[in-house]
Amino acid sequence: MEKKKKENIFRKLLRWFVRGFFGLKYEEKWFGKREKVQKEIVYKNGVPDDSELIVSPGRQIFNRFMERKFAVISVVVVLIMFAVVFIMPHFMTKYYDAFTETTQKDLPPTLSLMRVPKELKNNIKMIDSYGSFSVGLSKDGKVYVWGIGKIGATGLNVKDIPEEVQNAKIAYVAAGQDHVIAIGEDGKFYGWGSNRFGQFANDEKTEGNPNLEPVPDVVVNGELDVAHIKKVAAGFQASAILMDDGTLYIWGNKQAYANMDSFVGRDNILDIDFTLNNVVGLDTRQTSVVTGKKGLYDMARTTINGTKAVKMKDFLNGRKIVEIRATTINVCMLLDDGTVALTGDFQLDNVEVPTLAEGEYLIDIEAGAYHYTALSNLGHVYSFGGDHYYQAEAPAVNGAKKIFAGAFQSYAIDENGKLLDNWGLKGYLFGTDDRGANIAERVVAGGRITMTVGAIAVIIEIIIGVSIGLMAGFLGGWVDIFLMRVAEVFSSIPLYPFMLILSSLLAQVSMTTDQRLYMIMVILGVLGWPGFAYITRAQVLVARESEYVTAAQAMGVKETRIAFKHILPNIISVILVNMTLSFAASMQTETSLSFLGFGVNYPQPSWGNMLSRASNATAAINFWWQWVFTSAILIFTTICINTIGDTLRDVMDPKSTNDK
Amino acid sequence: MGRYIAKRLLYMIFVFFLLTFILFLLYQMMPANRAYTDARNEIQTMKNLTEEEKATKFDELYLKYKRMYGTDTDNKLVLYLRWLGLYPFYDGHFSGIFEGDFGFSYDYNLPVVKVVPSHMRNSFLIGIITEVAVLGVTIPLGIKCAVKKNSRFDRFMQFFTLIGFSTPSFIIYIVFIVFFCSILHWFPVSGMKTPGSTYTGWRNAVDVLWHVTLPTICLTFGSLASITRICRASMIDALSLDCIRTARAKGLTEKTVVYSHAWRNALIPMVSIIVGGFFGTISGAMILETMFGFKGMGLLFLNATRTADYDMIMFLEVIYTFIGLFANLVIDLTYGIVDPRVRISK
Repeated sequence: MEKKKKENIFRKLLRWFVRGFFGLKYEEKWFGKREKVQKEIVYKNGVPDDSELIVSPGRQIFNRFMERKFAVISVVVVLIMFAVVFIMPHFMTKYYDAFTETTQKDLPPTLSLMRVPKELKNNIKMIDSYGSFSVGLSKDGKVYVWGIGKIGATGLNVKDIPEEVQNAKIAYVAAGQDHVIAIGEDGKFYGWGSNRFGQFANDEKTEGNPNLEPVPDVVVNGELDVAHIKKVAAGFQASAILMDDGTLYIWGNKQAYANMDSFVGRDNILDIDFTLNNVVGLDTRQTSVVTGKKGLYDMARTTINGTKAVKMKDFLNGRKIVEIRATTINVCMLLDDGTVALTGDFQLDNVEVPTLAEGEYLIDIEAGAYHYTALSNLGHVYSFGGDHYYQAEAPAVNGAKKIFAGAFQSYAIDENGKLLDNWGLKGYLFGTDDRGANIAERVVAGGRITMTVGAIAVIIEIIIGVSIGLMAGFLGGWVDIFLMRVAEVFSSIPLYPFMLILSSLLAQVSMTTDQRLYMIMVILGVLGWPGFAYITRAQVLVARESEYVTAAQAMGVKETRIAFKHILPNIISVILVNMTLSFAASMQTETSLSFLGFGVNYPQPSWGNMLSRASNATAAINFWWQWVFTSAILIFTTICINTIGDTLRDVMDPKSTNDK
Repeated sequence: MGRYIAKRLLYMIFVFFLLTFILFLLYQMMPANRAYTDARNEIQTMKNLTEEEKATKFDELYLKYKRMYGTDTDNKLVLYLRWLGLYPFYDGHFSGIFEGDFGFSYDYNLPVVKVVPSHMRNSFLIGIITEVAVLGVTIPLGIKCAVKKNSRFDRFMQFFTLIGFSTPSFIIYIVFIVFFCSILHWFPVSGMKTPGSTYTGWRNAVDVLWHVTLPTICLTFGSLASITRICRASMIDALSLDCIRTARAKGLTEKTVVYSHAWRNALIPMVSIIVGGFFGTISGAMILETMFGFKGMGLLFLNATRTADYDMIMFLEVIYTFIGLFANLVIDLTYGIVDPRVRISK
């Protein structure tokens, strides 16, 4: 005989889950047929006793509800949704509402930001990244671009590598915000991407613009001595080529880099890099970070937090700077004793500079947008600095000979040019919004707010509506008339105009975003209660006339006991149905108001205000991911909630037949 | 019946005053002091004044303007009555909504009464077309679903309307705009006519029609689902009445049973939606009008709140309240026409 497993609650839940998602067929296959105990009507003393067959109304409703496949799925989905939006935010430790990142604006959904092409993986010569794309160079001189190459709505794509570059043997590449530069083995210079600010070529549009530094003739004519190039760097809308002998060629947008003038034509430069707004260099004295601006980057310290910054001269105390690398706002210096020093401000969320083992010292540092990656003499890699995208959490790597870092990614390479490991930002599941924030994270955080507003609004509606409805129904007489008139006044307040007036009023009062949120909940609740009051009152009036109440009264049961023990349980089912439907409706009202800009406001996300950009037709088609995912999730959630409400109403209605 | 209407009217007037009073109090909370602004503007045009003279002159002007605008008291009730036109101003004249003075729009530089009609007409135009289209589609659909309850067609419609009902209207509009404007380029994205055009006559009519078509379609689609569901539900309730069984037992044709007996009963819960919908057209569709830049009541109100054009807001609120209450009255009276039981009991 087959041994029956004991039916416990977990097994039962699993069984429901299987039934909900795979259907009855699989449930029976995996769990065996459900035993249906056919209870027979027993005759006692010739009288049929069918009391065994009778189930309580609650049980009956539950059973009938469980028979509806869609409804069960909906319950599961809504529960999962609730779990996700209320639990997930606790795991999104790096998320905060007002996060913005200029270089990550409007990126489509992708997870390819760190995906090095297969052909490149084993013979990497160099990699450079900026913003949303990376450019790599193989040892045989071929250029590869990965990540998101589209530049805004310009129609340009840095992935469209020009034919001549594909045919030429390239020696150096560098990536800027919206352009890529490359230098061939023969000294020829190439550039592609956006040239709006003279990033790589002098043309009639850039000619004579005082805000642009033209590309030097040596570079344009392809007369560069490739063997003596020390470094090729590209910044926001500028580029630089540094030669062995200290000669610097620098060009690009001077509005982005106001201190560029002090670098043009210099021939005593040892190292050069770009922050977001400044060019930083190292001259042959090796005692300071050259910026051409007084007081900029002249305080140094050894750690990000903890140590106090001291004047550069005192800090160095005779040591020399060997190398400088710049992120968006700060600069890291590698000193001749193998230690690092930092200068500039750091934002929140940083990984501290690593402490090295005895005998280990750093030999190279590369900088991304906010983080630094360093290579030690033992072939270990370390990352530190900005960690918003977990880009400063380096894996354990052995035998690295070279490192590359850019944007939010780092790559470790061995001596043969083989990719050992890469870490950092992979991409965005739902893309990014117009401020560069991850939409997937905002969907979760926004869901929490939208669902909270909906739920609290409904709870307020129920508390006010049910108590007023109960009072009106029970007390009757003038109380009834008065309360119903009040309800009528409230239901004739036009919702949207009223909300608009209130929120523009509230805009004048200085309120924290949380207070504003509470106000929205309260307003939605206070304007929505009459519906519950009408329903409760009607139900109470019906219940008072029903036989069981009469019977209870005849038996001498107290009025309050009748109210709470006999009538309320019968009303609760109806309230439950309306609660569910009202919850969906409140969520819709909140999203509509937020969409119009009168509900939840930026920086707090809500499923409504995340969609507000889509009201512009051009933005809606160009940046489709900014509304498609959010609205799909919103619609899906509301459908599920409405399905639950509908099914509840169906199964509670004694008139509706059981057949589907 | 006459007594009932009179009672309703009295009640309506009471609620109207109550609501406008509440709204007026809210309006008073808005940080606008027109008298102060005007006095300051006037003092700035005056030159050759010492600081002291300026101060006294300013107080004088401020008082003058306060009296002119009727804000020379802090008593909210007096302010409200002045706004209504039931309490005299400082110089003894009456000027309020009962005298036909609804205020002045600083955005349009016109009395609000002159601005509103054109917007109301626009809203009403697309509202009526939409209402007719929606009812024309949803009522037959709802009846068919109810009659063929649980058929494949009904279940498909149930699923479809569930999606439509659960989708906030603005997402429907976004989808339509993206599809018809950005992908197919059939309709213009916004506005009431081609910018810079000076069409007249037939050309103009075609141009306006071309601009109005998509908003109308959007608005129609936005309310199809919910009304179909309501129609189906009330029809199902009606079809399960005892009188329908009796009618069938009498041997009446199915057509007579459905359209004459059942529909008459199903109409009762539908009345508030149909009548309310017609009155709602005047109030305009705020989200739709904002998205399409359609010059209707909704956009007018939204812009007024954005630019703090207080007189306009207040006038529109009065209109909204009035329409809402009047619609309730008409709904109640229509119940009497549709449902003989209501007529008798009152």
